[in-house]
Amino acid sequence: MKKILSFTVIIALMVSLLSACSSEEDTSASASDKKVVVGAKNFTEQFVLSKILAIYLKENGFEVEEKNNMASQVVRQALENKQVDLYWEYTGTSLVNYNKLDPISDSVEAYEKVKEVDKENGLVWLDQSPLNNTYTLMMREEKAKELGIESISDLAAYLNDGNKLSLGADAEFATRPDGIKGVEKAYGFKFGSSNIKKMDVGLFYQALRDGQVDVATGFSTDSRIKAFNLVNLEDDKSFFPAYNAGITVHEKTLEKYPELEELLKPLAEKISTETMTELNYQVDIEEKSETEVARKWLTENGLIEE
Amino acid sequence: MNNKRFVSFVIKLILFTLVGSFFAWSFKSGYYQLIIDDSEGFIFLLKQHINMVLLSSLLAIVLAIPMGILVTRPKFQKLQWLFMNTANLGQTIPSLAILALAMTWMGIGFKPAVFALFLYSLLPILRNTVAGIKSIDPDLLDAAKGIGYTPAQILLKIELPNAAYPIMAGIRTAVVINIGTAALAYLVGGGGLGDWIFTGIMMRDNSYLLSGAIPVTLLALLADQLVRLIEKLVISKGLRQSVTVSD
Repeated sequence: MKKILSFTVIIALMVSLLSACSSEEDTSASASDKKVVVGAKNFTEQFVLSKILAIYLKENGFEVEEKNNMASQVVRQALENKQVDLYWEYTGTSLVNYNKLDPISDSVEAYEKVKEVDKENGLVWLDQSPLNNTYTLMMREEKAKELGIESISDLAAYLNDGNKLSLGADAEFATRPDGIKGVEKAYGFKFGSSNIKKMDVGLFYQALRDGQVDVATGFSTDSRIKAFNLVNLEDDKSFFPAYNAGITVHEKTLEKYPELEELLKPLAEKISTETMTELNYQVDIEEKSETEVARKWLTENGLIEE
Repeated sequence: MNNKRFVSFVIKLILFTLVGSFFAWSFKSGYYQLIIDDSEGFIFLLKQHINMVLLSSLLAIVLAIPMGILVTRPKFQKLQWLFMNTANLGQTIPSLAILALAMTWMGIGFKPAVFALFLYSLLPILRNTVAGIKSIDPDLLDAAKGIGYTPAQILLKIELPNAAYPIMAGIRTAVVINIGTAALAYLVGGGGLGDWIFTGIMMRDNSYLLSGAIPVTLLALLADQLVRLIEKLVISKGLRQSVTVSD
């Protein structure tokens, strides 16, 4: 009796396991379904942008699977392998980081160049948005005033004088050629690896505000810069390239769904740097959910019905 | 008899060949060049890692062993099940969750990392201390009482030496797990070799990944051997039996 019972339980478990595995494949079998995978990086702006994209596509008859929270290199590789069909990328990131080319500060030039280069990689850039989310170096307002540092050149001078400051950066910024290494080269100074504290992307602003680091990496559209009394150091040598956001799509996905290009045009057109900062603010400071914020923005801009 | 030995020999041979060829391949591919190129960075992270592990382990030992002793005193018999159940429950909480909780209480950096590692190391040591003391033959304790030992003497001369092996095994387990878990400290800004491991994951760069992960592995192996050495020195030969304790 016991043997039969345990046998039955095992069979039941196996069946449920197998059906769980195979059920994923069943949904993609029907030809009438339009299905795409939307990717996103690992910070607030990306979550909001990908939510906007996902909700918009869903309202237009697509079945969307969302894969969030990947570092740049990871989501880019996912796109190249078609594990992700499309995601929001930044022109400068692709130009300097993935394609190892020199940074270009002019938005239009950067876009044209990266569009051309990535076409050879099998990826298509849809229209870019006016949103330019560049890396910045931030300091606490009072500390910057105290040390008389307003630009990155000032920072370089201060450190070259033999002073020490700590930098909060994430693994990406600390290693990328358009990250701290590039800045140090362009401005001629070094933090020193023992002064660079690595931490996860979301923690910079807090760490800087609470005094755990003196300088930190920032994204220019992050609303916490103003909210936490932080200041951006001026990039007086224009080291950081243009980082306009645009949707990159795998060419096969576009071949399958050519309507995507026209459909997604309005999204790019309507997102400016100010808009994005405001949306980021709603999520980071007002603590609203990305879904709520994305939905509201789409409705207000007449892109979906409510 | 011979059959078993032969089989275990063959298995060891296969494992060594696999691990050996992995090392040969990764060395040839130059994945460890990073340690040489950025030796300053490597040593800094290594020191951070070791500091985190040492501090949290010492704190755990200093708290867990007395707790284990306290909980096995006849006065606290009733509380014993409570402690042990809490300890077991605590062990099931994933280390990542403990790190996250520590971060919400203590901010980021060295402190929450050490605190989380300390919490995580408490449990194996506590459990083993209690199990070790409980496993002592009650006849021994009876005999000790019979010849007039005070409770303090019983503790120092009978209970602790007899429980020494499981206690050290618990410390050994805790330290080895600690070294691995410390790699997660990057997530709370605590540094350590985990910085390179996560950099490797995010930048899809095997150099960073291996240059961080292999040293952590080697560190764990080294620590294991070191504690075994200490065991040999501290525990007299007669007590060195293979006691079956959990972990």
